[in-house]
Order: sequence, then structure tokens, then C-alpha cells
Amino acid sequence: MSQLLQIENFTLGFPGRPPLLDSVSLHVNDGEAVALVGESGSGKSLTTRAALGLFPGGSQSSGIVSVQGLDTLTASKQRLMELRRRRASMIFQDPRAGINPVRTVGDFLTETLVRLDGLSRAEATERAVTQLDQVGLRHAKELMDQHPHQLSGGMLQRVMIAAALLNSPDLLLCDEPTTALDVTTQAGIVRLLREEQQSRGMGMLFITHDLNLAASLCERVYVLRRGEVVEQGQTQTVFLTPQQDYTRQLVEATPVIEVGGLATPVVAGSPLLKVSGLSKTYQLPRGEIITALDDAGFALPEGGSLGIVGESGSGKSTLARLVVALETATSGELTLRDVRRPRRPLKASERKVLAKDVQIVFQDPYLSLDPRIPVGNAVADVFRLHQKQGRKEAKDSARVLLGRVGIGAERFDARPRALSGGQRQRVALAKALAARPRLLVLDEATSALDVSVQAQVLELVEELRDQLGLTILFVTHDLAVVSRLCSELLVMHEGRIVEQGPTARILEDPGDDYTRNLIASRPRPLWDAEPVTA
Amino acid sequence: MTATDYAQAPTPGVSARKREKRRAVRPAVYIVKKLLALLLTLFVASLAVFFSRFLVPGDPARFLLRGRSPKPEALEEITRQFGLDQPAWEQYLNWLSGILRGDWGRSLTYRQDVSDVLLGRLPTTLQLVALAAVFITVLGLFAGIVASLNKGFGDRFILITLTAAGAVPPFVAAIALVALFSVGLGWFPSFGSGDGGWDRIWHLTLPALALGITYIAMVARVTRSSMNEQLLREHVEVATSRGLARGSVVARHVLRNALGPILTVSGVLVAGLLVSSAIIERTFGLSGIGQLLVQSIDRLDFGVVQAIVMVVVAAFVLVNTVVDLVQPLIDPRIAAGTESR
Amino acid sequence: MTLAIQLPQVGLRRYGSLLSAMAWGALAVAAAVVLLSLFASVLAPYDPDYVDLNNVLAGPSGQHLLGTDALGRDLLSRLMHGGRTSLLGPTIVVIGSTVLGLLLGLVAGWSEGWVGKVLGRLFDLLFAFPALLMAMLAIALFGKGLFAPILAMTIAYVPYVARLAQSLVVAERGRPYVQAYRVLGFRTPWVVLGRVLPNLIPTVGAQSTLNFGYVLADLAALSFIGLGVQPPTSDWGAMIEESRGALLGGYILPAFWPALVVVLVVVAVNVIGEELSDRIGGKLS
Repeated sequence: MSQLLQIENFTLGFPGRPPLLDSVSLHVNDGEAVALVGESGSGKSLTTRAALGLFPGGSQSSGIVSVQGLDTLTASKQRLMELRRRRASMIFQDPRAGINPVRTVGDFLTETLVRLDGLSRAEATERAVTQLDQVGLRHAKELMDQHPHQLSGGMLQRVMIAAALLNSPDLLLCDEPTTALDVTTQAGIVRLLREEQQSRGMGMLFITHDLNLAASLCERVYVLRRGEVVEQGQTQTVFLTPQQDYTRQLVEATPVIEVGGLATPVVAGSPLLKVSGLSKTYQLPRGEIITALDDAGFALPEGGSLGIVGESGSGKSTLARLVVALETATSGELTLRDVRRPRRPLKASERKVLAKDVQIVFQDPYLSLDPRIPVGNAVADVFRLHQKQGRKEAKDSARVLLGRVGIGAERFDARPRALSGGQRQRVALAKALAARPRLLVLDEATSALDVSVQAQVLELVEELRDQLGLTILFVTHDLAVVSRLCSELLVMHEGRIVEQGPTARILEDPGDDYTRNLIASRPRPLWDAEPVTA
Repeated sequence: MTATDYAQAPTPGVSARKREKRRAVRPAVYIVKKLLALLLTLFVASLAVFFSRFLVPGDPARFLLRGRSPKPEALEEITRQFGLDQPAWEQYLNWLSGILRGDWGRSLTYRQDVSDVLLGRLPTTLQLVALAAVFITVLGLFAGIVASLNKGFGDRFILITLTAAGAVPPFVAAIALVALFSVGLGWFPSFGSGDGGWDRIWHLTLPALALGITYIAMVARVTRSSMNEQLLREHVEVATSRGLARGSVVARHVLRNALGPILTVSGVLVAGLLVSSAIIERTFGLSGIGQLLVQSIDRLDFGVVQAIVMVVVAAFVLVNTVVDLVQPLIDPRIAAGTESR
Repeated sequence: MTLAIQLPQVGLRRYGSLLSAMAWGALAVAAAVVLLSLFASVLAPYDPDYVDLNNVLAGPSGQHLLGTDALGRDLLSRLMHGGRTSLLGPTIVVIGSTVLGLLLGLVAGWSEGWVGKVLGRLFDLLFAFPALLMAMLAIALFGKGLFAPILAMTIAYVPYVARLAQSLVVAERGRPYVQAYRVLGFRTPWVVLGRVLPNLIPTVGAQSTLNFGYVLADLAALSFIGLGVQPPTSDWGAMIEESRGALLGGYILPAFWPALVVVLVVVAVNVIGEELSDRIGGKLS
């Protein structure tokens, strides 16, 4: 077998700064699927783009990046374009950003055929329709006239794949092609990519931050950290017996569904939070009515932990926002600590009382803190409001609490900008806890973090829960995260609760088709006996 | 949605049928809404323009006759002409229905119908504004595109030039152009509007340039930043990664997508040109409605002022409505209401 | 998961310690012009209205650094005194429109119901009246001078500030950090005035700085066509108007100096404004 993609001692950086990629070497053989795994900032996207001769403006690079013998670092513009047209294609992370929103799907697919291959419009359309059919899109002819905003994310990613396959490339580069998609959609895309790669005998370089995903698609893997390859080998070997500390950490931090270590559900008399028949509908400006949450009912006992799992649009975030009174229910009952929630926006005084019962931590660590306020003051403000503490006393309390969540005194006066994503989520946690709530709602609070950071934050939440006797409502799309933290589970789909009960029972023996689909959609390593099924 | 993915991923909560229906209705609803908004804005604007007179304390007849002899018969005539003895809303309705019928009242200075005075002056102003618009479109777009595609020295040079040009008020530009090209070099006339045809264009070149210079800078800046924003988008990288030539990528994916914001400024632009023409026409001795506006303020001929203000406001609102109606053709997401720009 | 589109986040008071060299230059020019105008009565070498018919249209000399105009008045002194009227107008307009615009924008952005919608419509309507047109209408109503145009332009510039503030507030209101304040039980006035408003000020300030240049140019233009500041008060726009006769006779300087000062000040203000908004934009991405 010849080497399709060969990267030797590839170094890339901006003048006067430490290199972003440092002597990266990797190769992909004909017909081989290789994964490039790393956390954010590891340089995996830069590496892949280099294979097409796409370098960031103003960067300097050295080494060899060769595709079928053509070195993209030295090749002429003409040869590079030739390479992109005939031999290598790339699939990007976010199809919604990657396909021109003002042009039709048909235009996107046929533009290379018409402009570069000299096909007539009719011929090009025919080829494109055939290709759309092949990647599993029905009604391909009608799709050609639609604009990207009329398609779902999963459909768009199939369009992107169809476009990449149109020129029958020998090398397929995939840059986190499923990260923007739901798990069940991801499963379909992964299956499609695997099929196409196998049947066409393409070489594939698959970038991902998700070890499980890499294992479900690729025979070989490279682990990238801060611009350096730290480990490589057969996927199975690397994952089961990692040689390097970093790889080991990464493997350990990667969430897996583990049913064994779960706490038994708390059985208690009076529930802290009780919800019945809760619905929320929105009226869009054009008069259309959308039901975000439909007839939800559950109870959460004091000291319990409930996971709410669903994909985007399942209504899980609406539910979380209803619990913290950021939204007002359209119908149904919500009772928190025996206080029935009025069906109107809360008054300022009611809100202040409620704040001591329930707090929330949001998903995005970059937007959940006030950019202007030093983190210490942000936490102290809450102490002053809720614990009636003076300026100095509040600062002291804030220092103690921040220390408790792992933010040292030296960061007390830092603004959020100076903190990493994980640190910001810790500050957000401290802010919420300063009100001393009984119920803590975590709305995808760890989803935007790298796996290793996510593992640390989850550990912290677990600790705090046990020490403070907090009741936890954890909203997430990730079953594995829930299985670690929550004894009770609630699965949502399209605004409805489809299944609820003890986490262990649901994960082992799901009673609903959708839950089954959700569990089966989690990527499974190639070496596991079962083939990937949806 | 007409097609569904194998792996189910339809947007929840919205049934397929509902969507289909909505899309069929949308364009007509969109157009009607925009037209209603146009009428409403014009109506409220006419209220503001008409009732502005009532802000001035004192006898309205004396206000309208300022600077002229307040003889009893003159006062009586003006009272009759403007219907000042009627209640305010009736005066307004008379004025509005007059405007709609083409009767814009009489000018005190010219002793003519306002509509005749206006129509006599309008062509010069429209020609001036049109010529300026040509300069603005050609030079502004060109400078913006060149700046955006040439990072480094070219961009920097054009940007500095634009900052300087954008800071030259039209009247200063007029003086400078006259000093250089009329007094200094003698290439262009400094006065009058010529005899039509090429002579007209020759006479209007300096005024149009003076009028357009700030707006050339404005359009160039908007073009540059709008294109720069698009150049960073992932779909441009995707197009490049598929082997399309730089020219195709720029024309089909950068410029095309950048058009929206550029069009958006055209409403402001047209209104601004009409107003600034007041200054330019006076400097270059062109008898257009801008010159007329200044004269009428000078000679306290309020009826004419009101009419011209109404014309400019209507032009602004009209151009904006046209832009709003064109935007969905450029960006289909606007019609779908998912992108509001 | 949907990946939220990240709006630029406003709200950084520190712009880094260094402005670009160009911005420093612009700041120096602006400061010099302001100081010279402010202390004109002390610093000006002549009475700006002193007519010396023996020394008409003189070129620059030791006696008259910038020369004299058609009535033999010292151009430098007239420029310095003219600066007072020329700068006072824009200052009032910018302060007035910024304060009013911020308030209306905050209210419009924060209130989800009809108040926001009505205010939005009002801004749209005001946009239909270009500032110069509004000023001319006001002059037609209240007479020539500075009062009417300043009042009118203050109103005309309100929507520029208000619309910007409104869109920023709407964006901020949806941000998790503001929602966290609500869940934490902080009162709305405290959140809006104490936390959200300071985050808007850099961006709004940059816009208002740019507005200063436009207002200056418009007011000068009004004086130029004889509707603004009335003679014999000196004003840059009026000075250019007075010099037109001389210009056509080939004497460029009397018109050149005031034109140069107007352009310099507007350029300086624009450079500062753009530097501010670039820095705010750059810091946020």
C-alpha cells in the first residue's frame, strides 16, 4: 500500500510566538481510516487544513505535507487547486456555516461540476441528484432548489458529504463533522462515512475530540496535544493500553455509561420539587404556535439527583428555565418546597425568596459571567444580597467559597476574560452556591468544556452535592454524564417526557423506542462485536 | 419540510404540513406588511411635518407672514388661504387631501403654486443626485472591494484615504474642487447647470463629486467591512477547499453575500444626498429644490419648506421600502424570518 | 447541541494601555484645537472683529501668522474665537443625544412588550428625518441662529444612539450572565443601571464620538449657507462663506484655513471614534 497522505516534521506558527504545531508527523495509507484526536487548541484542524494547502494568513511553516507525492507547502497555486478538485475533499464541522446560506443546495453541489469540470447544468444536476440519493437523502430533486436554512443540520451534513464525494476523492478529510449534531443524527452520519470510505476504498483522516467516536470509525489513531503528537498506534491498543500519561488521562476522562457505581435513588417523603401537567407554548411572531414542553410531570425528593436527557429541541432547557422561573408556564403546576409557582412573572420580592431555593449554572462559560466584574466581587455581591453581609465580610465569604471550588485567592480580582473555561464554570458554581440554594439546576453546564476539564468539574459537583446535601437537576444531551451523577433519569423527546425512572434501570433496560435509539446511537468501538446500528 | 433525513432530525414541535402552508403565504404577506409600514410611516411623518408649525407660540397668521407687512388684508388672506380659522385637525385634513390631489398650496414668495415651483426645480436636483449616485456606486464599491481583497499596504492606504475623504463635509469639498478645478485649472465651470446633454453633465460633475465624496467613503467602508466579515466565514473556506478559483469564490460567495449591508445604507444615502444638495446647489448656483429650500427658509416661505421636507422624507421611506423588498431576494433567510437584518 | 452564534460581548473598560500612533496624533490635534478655542480671549493675538482696511487679504507674516481676510481681520484670531461656537454646538448635541438615546434605548431594549415596539417605531420615524433636514425645518420655525439647529439635531441624533443601545441591551438581556442575575434575585434597576448600562458605554461612546464629527460638519454647513451662526460672530463655516468672493478672485487662504480646521477636527474625531470601536470589537472576538 502506498502512502496517500504523508506529513513529516510539519511545524507551523506565527513569527515571534511559540509554534502551534511542532514537528507533527503522521501518515494515512490508501483505503485506511485514521483518527486525529485532541482537545481544543491541540492544532488538529490546522494539521488537516494543511493537507489541502490551506494555511492561516501570515503563518510560517516547515516540513513536508504531501498528498500522493505533492507537497502542499511548496506546490504552485495551480497544482493545489488541482489537488483540491480531484484528489482530496474536506468535510467541515458546522454544515450550517459551511454552506453558503444565500445560495441553493443545488448551486452548492453543482458549482464545481459546472465551473471546473465543464459539465452542462443539466448533467451537473443529474450527477448531484444521484449523489444526494446515495448519501441517503430522499426527494433529492426538490432539495436542489431549497436553501440551507430549510434543511436540518443532519441533512445539511449529508449535503456536505455528497459535495465532498462528487469528485471521487482518494483522500477524505473530516473536521469534527458530527460535533454540531445530535447523537442520533451523528450515528447516521458516522455509518454513512464508514460505508462510503469502505466501499470507495478512500483514505480518511478523521478529526475529533471524542475518543469514542474515533474508536467507532478508525483503525489507527494519533493523539495530538498542544501541537505535538504524543501517542499513536492501533486504536484498540492506544485506548485499552495507553502508554502516555496524557492519553491515559484522556481515556479516563472520557465519559462512558457506567451503571455499577450509581447511588441508589433517594426515597423520601415529601418531594422538594413537584411538577405536574406542565406545558409551555410559544407564539412565534408569524402566529405559529410551538409547543416547547408538553404535559411534563415528575417529582424530585430532597437530596436526590435527577438527570434530564434529550437532544436539541427536546424541551429540556425549557424545563430547566421553568424551574428557575426564567419562563412562565402556559399550564400545569410547579411546586417547589410546598410553594406553588404562580402562573405570572415573579415580583422582585418573590424572586429574592426563590433564589434561596433554586439556582442555575448555564452552559456557556464565556457568557455566563459579567465580563466587567472581577470574579471575587461577583460572588461577594451575592453574599451581600442574600446573607446580609457587609462589604468586608462578604469578600471574606467569597474568598472562602471560591477556594472551596478551586479558585485560589490570587484570582480573586481577575476578570472572567483572564480565566479558562473550566475556571469560569467553577466561578459560576460559586456564585450560584453563595445564595445557599437547596436545588441546583445545571443546564448543560459541562457540555462546552474539554473532556478532561469536564471530568474535573463533574467531580467538583459530586463533592459539593455530598457535602452540602444539594439536590441536583442535571440537564444534558450526554447519557454518560448523567449515568455518573444522577440516580434518577428522565428522557425527553420533542417536548414530551418519554421515559423516567432509576438511571440504572433505564440504561440497562430502556422501555421506550426513543430511549433505545438514543442509547444505541452512542458510538461503539470497532473492536466491539456488534456492528454499529441505529 | 418536503424531505426527511434517514436518521430522524426534523425540527420538533412544528408539523411538516404547517410549514408548507406558511411558506406559500409568506411573500405576499411580507410585501403587504412592508407597504403598510410605508404608508403608516408616511402618515406619521406628515403629521409631524404639518403640526411642527404649532410648536411656534403666537398667532399662526403672523408667523406665516413673518418679514412681510402684517396689513389686515394680508392677515385675512393668509387666514383664508391656510384655513387658519378652522380647527387644527381640519386644517391638517385639508392640507393632506390637497397634497394627495396635487395641490400643495401657494408660495408666498413666488406667488405661484408650490407644486409648480417644485416641479420646475426637481429635474436639476434629480440629475445632480443621480450623477452623484453613479460616482458613489462605482467609486465606493471599487475602493471597498480593492481594500478588502488587498490586505496590508493597499488596504491601509485606501482606509486612510477614506477616513480623510469621509471627513470632508460637502461644502468644504465644493470650495476645494472649485478652487482646484475651476479657479486653478479652469477645467470645469463653477456656476450654473448648463444647457442639457453633455454640457449638463460637464456642469454637474464638480457638484456631484462634492456632494458624493463623504458618501463614497461611507459606501466604500461598508463594502470593505461587509466583505471582510464574509471572507472569514466558513463557507468561503469550504468553497476554496473545493478548488474554486479565487475570482469565483469572491464573486459568488463573498461579494454576493456582502450585498445586504451595502444596500441597507442606500436609504440613508438618498436622503442625505437630497438634503446636502441644498448646500451644493447654493454653492454652484444650481436652481434645484435644495437651493429652493434654503431660499424659502431665508424668505420665510413656510409652505414651500414643508413641502420639500415632505418630499425628502418620502424619498427616504420609499427607498428604504424598496431595499426591504429586495433584501429577501439577496438573502432568502430574511423572508423566512430566521435572519433579521 | 446547537452551537450558539456568539455575539460580540460588550463591556470592557480597559482598552489596553496604548492607542495606535495615529490615534495619539488625532487626540493631540483635537486637544490642541479645543484648548486654543477655549482660551481664545487670552491667546488670540487680535480682536477677531477688528477691521483693518489697510491690510486686506494679506498673506501669512510675522504680524498675522495666517494672514487676514477681505476686511483685514486677523484669520488666526477669528479661527480661535470661531472654534468656540463651532465646537460648542456639537458638544451640546452629542451630550444631549447620548443621554436621551441611552435612556430610551435601555427602556426600549429591556421592555419586551408594546413599549419596546412603539419606541422602535419612533426611532424608525426619526431616522426618516436626516439631521440637516430637521435642523433646517427648525430654523424655518424658530429663526436663524444656533438654538434651533442644536435642538433639532439633538433630537435627530437620538435614534442613532438609541437604536444601538437597544440592540446591545437586547443582546445583553439574553445573555446567561444577565439571566443569572435575575435568578439570583437582584432587582431589575440594579441590574440594568448598575451592570448592563456600564457594559454599553464603550460601544455607545464610540458611536457618539463619530456623531460629533458629523454634527460639527453639519452645523458648519448651516453657517456656510447663512442659516446658522449670524455675522459678525465668527464661526468656521461662516468664515468659509465670507471668503468665497476672495476665493473666486484667487485668494485661497481665507477659505483654506477654516476648511482645513474643520477637516482636521472631523478626521481626528473619526480616527478616535474608529479606534475605540475597533478596540472594543477586537477585544471581544
